[in-house]
Amino acid sequence: MISDSQFYQALKQTFGFETFRPGQLEALKALGAGKDTLAVLPTGAGKTLIYELYGFLADQLVVVVSPLISLMQDQVATLSVRGEKRAAALTSMMTYNEKQAVLAHLNQYRFLFVSPEMLSQSAVLTAISRVQLGLLVVDEAHCISTWGPDFRPEYLLLGQIRHLLGDPLTLMATATATDHVKADIKAKLQLPDAEEIILPVDRQNIFLDVEKFEVLADKDERLETLVQQLKKPGVIYFSSKQKADEMAGYLNQKTTCHVAAYHADLDLETRFKVQQQFMLGQLDVICATSAFGMGIDKNNVRFVIHYHLPGDLESYWQEIGRAGRDGQPSIAILLYQPGDEQIAQFLSETTVPEPNEIDYYYHQKAPLAAPDNKANLIWFYRNHHVSLERVLAGFEKRREQRFRALQKMLAYVRISSCRREFIRSYFDQTDSEKPTHCCDNDEQLDISALGLEASDNERVQLASTDWQSIVTQLFAH
Amino acid sequence: MLDATQLLRFLSANTPRRLRVIENVLVGKRSVSTLYWGMRYAQLDWLGYDKRLSRTEVDQAAQSLVNDKLAVMADTKVKLTPEGLTTLNATSLYQPQALSVRLTVDISTFWQRFLLAIQVVSEASFENRQYYPLQVPWAVKQTIKRWFHQYREASLAEQFRTFLEAFLTSLPTTQANFLANLLVGHVQPGKTITQLAQTAEMSLAEATLIQTDLVCQLVQFIQQEQAPVFTTLLAGLVNSPVSQSALQTVQAYNQGQSLSTISQRRHLKDSTVREHLLEAAILEPLNAFDYERTLSPALQTKLADIFDQQSIDEWQFDQVAPLSLEFWQFRLYEILRSKQDDQ
Repeated sequence: MISDSQFYQALKQTFGFETFRPGQLEALKALGAGKDTLAVLPTGAGKTLIYELYGFLADQLVVVVSPLISLMQDQVATLSVRGEKRAAALTSMMTYNEKQAVLAHLNQYRFLFVSPEMLSQSAVLTAISRVQLGLLVVDEAHCISTWGPDFRPEYLLLGQIRHLLGDPLTLMATATATDHVKADIKAKLQLPDAEEIILPVDRQNIFLDVEKFEVLADKDERLETLVQQLKKPGVIYFSSKQKADEMAGYLNQKTTCHVAAYHADLDLETRFKVQQQFMLGQLDVICATSAFGMGIDKNNVRFVIHYHLPGDLESYWQEIGRAGRDGQPSIAILLYQPGDEQIAQFLSETTVPEPNEIDYYYHQKAPLAAPDNKANLIWFYRNHHVSLERVLAGFEKRREQRFRALQKMLAYVRISSCRREFIRSYFDQTDSEKPTHCCDNDEQLDISALGLEASDNERVQLASTDWQSIVTQLFAH
Repeated sequence: MLDATQLLRFLSANTPRRLRVIENVLVGKRSVSTLYWGMRYAQLDWLGYDKRLSRTEVDQAAQSLVNDKLAVMADTKVKLTPEGLTTLNATSLYQPQALSVRLTVDISTFWQRFLLAIQVVSEASFENRQYYPLQVPWAVKQTIKRWFHQYREASLAEQFRTFLEAFLTSLPTTQANFLANLLVGHVQPGKTITQLAQTAEMSLAEATLIQTDLVCQLVQFIQQEQAPVFTTLLAGLVNSPVSQSALQTVQAYNQGQSLSTISQRRHLKDSTVREHLLEAAILEPLNAFDYERTLSPALQTKLADIFDQQSIDEWQFDQVAPLSLEFWQFRLYEILRSKQDDQ
């Protein structure tokens, strides 16, 4: 049992804060009392602080299961910036020897970040079970429910893995979860009695806006106008890396803003540079793909624009949550062109195998070099002794589920009543008040009335670029 | 990343060149045929420059030149038209100075080390311990940790400033600015290669080439200066351009072993032993290979007489039939003469 005063003391000592943000202390208290905990806190509420602080106090290894390598690397870097050097990410990008080196010295680490795939490997499991595990964290826990069967099925093994690790104290953390997803997370991790710490998902300072276009050219033109007009910095989400690259180039050319693309295809050096430029205020706008950039922690993002339709409301809400973490007025704009749902549906279902594919791969002998993800997926189930009928039925259900999720997203686009109420009821939260400026169905979008108009002198001035000044500025005299 | 403009630089207006050779050199295939023709096209510095290049990209680039009447193509052999030559000369493509460094130094790892080293030194000079380090492979991070530990007392900031000033002064200003803008340090996140390409209004392929070549020049500069702080950054990254197995073959050959002895002892096919020798002859400097063991001065005189006045690319193996040479000896002579011509 850890006392409140110990939590406050640690907060001051390690983070320099006097007070917790809503939800943090409640989650810590639950963990401190040895209760497995599901924490649903909005993006930017400081979920990572919970397990960092707990790890600090428990003085034992904290294993964090995280979906993306980029996210793990960001978290390790963030910890390092705070002076915690005993953090490592175990990733598929490391060589065998590098992984062995980390696993052999696990007792010297406080935080270990792993993907579910990495954690399912027996060498990794064995190494972790040899040390005293203080806390198992499933970060972005909604992935268990929204990904799962068709994409990264190892998420489904986490419940079993938890048993193999001796049922350690577990924190499941996510920003968005409906009642159904919450129940699903707990069921898959086999923790039906976990304590729930739930904060309202609503972000009152974000104005919600949807705009519709008949042709693509109008959408591009509107995007250009918005980027020019809106207060920066901002993030624009795309469904494809190529489109993100293309529009970053287009906006650089057409507007006076500094724009860069940010996605999984960037090499490490470029990713670092774009991220740091954005953090240091040298970039106005980032063109990102939805599967990337969860790690950027910048609190003054004023707008999040979606150029493509996300596959479900969870993703949408998660992504617009990057706006206005400082509590200042911000805006989320979704640009919709009829037919966009086909791209979304394609992307949403592309990972779900068709019945004939399932049948084909299920009966094929697994060759050593796997031809594609779908084959791997089906072999995964076969190797876990799931019958063909159940695999077929499972994916059929999954397809319907993805389809319904997309229909919900479309319903959000098409409704004529308050968008915020729609979201609240979707997330089963209907008890909070409406903000003054709510959504475009309640009042016509007026950027200046929202206080979101860019001022003329706002343009970012970049540092000089001649080599003499660069070299001079690199090193302190 | 090969576009039509970049393809121009690999073509000639005098003789048709094989598209597959150009492609295989860029992808880094090390067959003797690729290496030999790569040498004849003076393209060997580009060996393995673009490992992910696809055949489709190459074919599209070539077709685009043909469509624009800048090149003609027959049987995948491509030759510049006079318009093509004019365009090539007018385009003022960047002319790399030190690209061959790529063959002996792992420059991408060197660059990761160099960037991180500058960042670490820069932040240390501002006495800042809390910053986001560049994301690099684990091994690079460990190397720079050890390196910094070893040299931290050595007024690193001053050494780096002096070193960078010396190197950048040796470059044309635009190139010095280009390289400096890539550097990362205290509240200086550096520019991305895409941003530098946009600013300079050039293609990403061209900007990437400039970066690669400038890093090669940087390595050369370090190798000339021989200051331990910087040469340490190259530790473990310098290798022979010749493959390990071929090196062993050449060593045995230079010790005087016969080719059949080598093939027996090393359990290699006869043809493989010959390929190893040719690979080494092509990739090593002229004086590093014992040509006379296979091509005696007398034989060389006879060959020179046969091919008198004829340009190397026109030589035919049939012409040496009276001398009953093996093909590999004929090829070795072609290599020797190519290297002598270059001197």
